[in-house]
Amino acid sequence: MSVSGDAHRGALQRTMLTGGLLAAAALWLFCAHLLWRSSVPANLHLPHVDPRTFFSRAFLHRSFTYERFLDLEGLFASVTLLVVLVLYARHGQRLMSESAAGRIGTGMMLGMLGFAVVWLAQVPFGLLEVWWERRHHVSHQGYVSSVFESFFSLGGKFLFVCLALAVAMGLAGLTRRWWWALAAPVFVGLALLFTFLGVYLIPGTHAPSDAYVRTDERTLARIEGIPHTKVVVQDVHRFTTAPNAESVGFGPTRALILWDTLLDGRFDRREVDVVMAHELGHISHRHQLKRVGWLALFLIPLAALIALVTRRRGGMARPEAVPLALLVFVAAGVFAAPLQNIVSRREEAEADYSALRATRDPQAARDLFVKLARTSMADPNPPSWSYVLYADHPTIVQRIAMVDAWQALQSQ
Amino acid sequence: MGEHPVRLIVADDLRRGHGSSFFRMWFALPLVLWLAIWSVVAFLVALANWLLTLVLGRSPAPLHAFLSRYVRFTTHIYAYMNLAAEPLPNFDGKPGYPIDLEIDPPAPQRRLSVLLRIVLALPALLIAGALLGSNFALSSTTFNEGGLIGAVVLLGWFVAVLLGRMPHGLRDAIAYAISYGAQTWAYLLLLTDRYPSSDPQSALRGLPIRSDPVSMRVNDDLRRSRLTVFFRLPLCFVHLVWLTLWAILAYVLSILSWLVTLFEGHAPNGFHRFLAAFVRYQCQVYAYLFVIAGPFPGFTGSSGYPIDLMIAPRARQNRWTVLVRLVLVIPALVITAAYVQLLLIVGVLGWFVSLITGRMPQGLRNAGALALRYSAQTTAYLFLLTDVYPYAGPTAEAQQTEVVPELVVPDPIAPIA
Repeated sequence: MSVSGDAHRGALQRTMLTGGLLAAAALWLFCAHLLWRSSVPANLHLPHVDPRTFFSRAFLHRSFTYERFLDLEGLFASVTLLVVLVLYARHGQRLMSESAAGRIGTGMMLGMLGFAVVWLAQVPFGLLEVWWERRHHVSHQGYVSSVFESFFSLGGKFLFVCLALAVAMGLAGLTRRWWWALAAPVFVGLALLFTFLGVYLIPGTHAPSDAYVRTDERTLARIEGIPHTKVVVQDVHRFTTAPNAESVGFGPTRALILWDTLLDGRFDRREVDVVMAHELGHISHRHQLKRVGWLALFLIPLAALIALVTRRRGGMARPEAVPLALLVFVAAGVFAAPLQNIVSRREEAEADYSALRATRDPQAARDLFVKLARTSMADPNPPSWSYVLYADHPTIVQRIAMVDAWQALQSQ
Repeated sequence: MGEHPVRLIVADDLRRGHGSSFFRMWFALPLVLWLAIWSVVAFLVALANWLLTLVLGRSPAPLHAFLSRYVRFTTHIYAYMNLAAEPLPNFDGKPGYPIDLEIDPPAPQRRLSVLLRIVLALPALLIAGALLGSNFALSSTTFNEGGLIGAVVLLGWFVAVLLGRMPHGLRDAIAYAISYGAQTWAYLLLLTDRYPSSDPQSALRGLPIRSDPVSMRVNDDLRRSRLTVFFRLPLCFVHLVWLTLWAILAYVLSILSWLVTLFEGHAPNGFHRFLAAFVRYQCQVYAYLFVIAGPFPGFTGSSGYPIDLMIAPRARQNRWTVLVRLVLVIPALVITAAYVQLLLIVGVLGWFVSLITGRMPQGLRNAGALALRYSAQTTAYLFLLTDVYPYAGPTAEAQQTEVVPELVVPDPIAPIA
């Protein structure tokens, strides 16, 4: 009776677990489907674009060399990162003797030291990157200043690590096995909070001095249905010559950040307008919130995985589990990067499309993309492996192809 | 390691003349002029001594004797000008002054250390600058140009003129600074190749064993992990943020505590415990930041850290001193600023040494601990945790001080029922 009863109960538990997992997977897919939706017409056919039409053979060769070096350097850096973290996961708990901070405090210290060790291992790669960028006039940052700045920025990173570990370990102390189910919503809430406050966390910003930037931004924001969006300029010219822009915040804190390298005269007004319209496209399609949604979708299973893996070290409540948790977290990030790139590229394509609809200036968009490639030394048409691993934007060729496709659609 | 070849002897009875203290600088003027003349000669002799020591491996006895007398005379003048001693010193630098130096006879010295003496002395000069001010050494870029001695003498001068007596703590703080200065001069002038010791415990003999309401217990093994030393600043960042948040609340509570203490004569127990935990936590964070302690501190200010504060339970306080506490604390804050300068230099030098050797020198650790203890006593005084004024001088090793742990002592003013 008891043997068959146990077997029956075991089978029931297995069935329930399988059912639960299937239901969770179905829910995950449903949410992913909702987040995956895009305003870019599904039938938009991107024509073939020959990069040689826009770029000289010499540039294509230089940009190819430039980017492949960085790709390979990034690949080595990732492998080193994982090796260092594996070693830290095995031996890092010895550093517990360096703490008098109790369970959570010791966990925080181990978390910070893990990232500190990673930083040390990444310094040579960082310097190599600076050297390569300086050699190609993409950056003029000094070697010493690059090391010092990254060293001092560790403080900010450590603060986030401590916050995350305080939440995870605090909840693990209370709930033991199910901390991840509570921690994931807390992390998502924090991500939402930091997204909301994003504009206030970016240093060195000021109001744009060019009057056209403000007037054009107002017009474009109205067209995209998000009036009263703030625009600010961030000073980055001390570190880089590469132009860039980003959108941050949502609701009342939504804002457009333009790097001052975009406004240094290399890009004309129409091209800057395309950039602004692109970033406003991100805001109007709520990409910031969608990113938090994607984060939630990845974070929940990842937190469960960390909870599962760290059981062998006594669970996340124990500080000795932190180095292992760190390895799982970073490794998951490295291996999930291609998936994140797919999502990112889709959002960037949608923002491009949105910009075309707002500015209705395909020539300016085309000129912008060409100039962006030239100033950033971006390979217009990278090989597939590089595209899959590193490209978080569509390639320049794809972006120009979208302009052509949009133009063709308008002429129909 | 045995006694330092250059030792300060303190035979001062703390009594000061009101008038002689008031006109101290004027009385010292002829001595200073004489010192200036002597310094020119001493410079030339020091050059000769450097060359001969480099060749012979030992300072020649006549030159050693001359330079010893010069350093001793300088010490006498510093002691007199800074109110560490009362009588006007003789012009000959002979032994017998209440603040005096014992200097061992010449001993063999390593030639390489002799050759590089000026370079090797730079860290010592930095510490000497923090202790004795920019007139002495290299601290002209720092905000407090008078050093610790300047801040202490400022307060000591008022006390000596008014009371005719120099407080023990202030005199010992000055003597500590003078001792370090003398050892630095002796090292620079090749009277010894032993590096100056910044350890306040070994600088003066017969230090008092005190039982202040706020005292420090040092239970640190000097061992440091190079990894955590290298990343000490970013590792501390989270503590500094937490400390800032805590400080906001602590300052608000201290105002409320001030109001209650003014009427009740003692702070509310909960406020006292909270503010005591804050002061202890602050001390632990700074001890970690400046490499005075090894392990990463906790976030709650609980006891048990290697550099720990023992804070007595609340006690009744004089309402008048509570009323004017903000004014009374000003001299202590001036001295604290000077000690913080010392702490910064100790932290920077200690960081380099610990990174290289994996060990914090005891002298630097103890100098930092002294600075931390004084600043913690000042904060405790400001926050009405005690009405005992901060003690500026070094005390006998904290381990020897019998302090009853805070939690087991019954609150003397708690209601019986």
